Amino acid sequence: MKILVCIDDTDNLESRGTGDLATELAEEIEKRGWGRSLFVTRHQLLVHPDVPYTSHNSSMCFEADIESDYLQPLIEYASDYLKRESAPGSDPGLCVAVVELLDEPEALTAFGRRAKEEVLNKTLAYDLASQLGLHLSEHGGTGQGVVGALAGIGLRLGGNDGRLKGWLDIRTENGLATVGEILAQVSLQGVRTLDGEVLGAEEVIAVDDKPKAVMIGGGTYLMVSAVEKSDRVRWRTTPRKQLKRF
Amino acid sequence: MWRITKRGEREFRHGQEAYGLAADQARFCEGFCPDVEDEWTADEERSCYNCRLRRWTVESFLCLGPA
Repeated sequence: MKILVCIDDTDNLESRGTGDLATELAEEIEKRGWGRSLFVTRHQLLVHPDVPYTSHNSSMCFEADIESDYLQPLIEYASDYLKRESAPGSDPGLCVAVVELLDEPEALTAFGRRAKEEVLNKTLAYDLASQLGLHLSEHGGTGQGVVGALAGIGLRLGGNDGRLKGWLDIRTENGLATVGEILAQVSLQGVRTLDGEVLGAEEVIAVDDKPKAVMIGGGTYLMVSAVEKSDRVRWRTTPRKQLKRF
Repeated sequence: MWRITKRGEREFRHGQEAYGLAADQARFCEGFCPDVEDEWTADEERSCYNCRLRRWTVESFLCLGPA
């Protein structure tokens, strides 16, 4: 069965990032033979004086396909892991959702969108998790991370938010690769412009250092921007500063 | 470049889109410490915007490093 796992608020200024912990959890699922994990996505939540966060307020989510017998062991393992690995002073939260059992996915995606625009609290998060039958738990500190953990599940489920953790390793020739060559190397739905056009296989892209993919329309895409004043190449990978809205 | 908040914190005066200035500030900063790559928002690797000692605020960021 398909599940989503999201964690939030596990770090402090000196510790490993929440993304590293999410990656380790995803890898552990595979190591233990519980199932197969997909990529981790980073979801930006509201930055506001009334929201406690370390430095950027983002949560990390991944999808996995596991046998149903392993759901409870996974939740127990992840809970222990967060207690053990979260940084001093952090307020970690864990959310696990079984996608096929979600009666009201739109309520969850709406919560995710709200968490990008409003100050939400633990009571709201626990109430919604209870109503939808999700696992939501806190593992230290104030436990405020449950808000971001639940929101991250909603945003990943919505499929229109977040950058994929890490960068794409794309081999090029003199910094250039066609869309076809790129898609032969990395597992993505496509290469897409900021205007929403999905490019054909023959289009040539100037690939900058550490290109990143984002989630749009439920798929994963390498984003590209138009190159001005160039006869040779029409597109380059989108600069990081323009990706921060994802 | 910086304003001091009521709580005595240093806030970058130039917001979240002043990429050149943020890179200039980081270039000679002894406290610069790169954040994990997933949190970078500037294309210049050495930038206050990519430092783990910056804390985003609504308009800009606070520098939690040495003055």
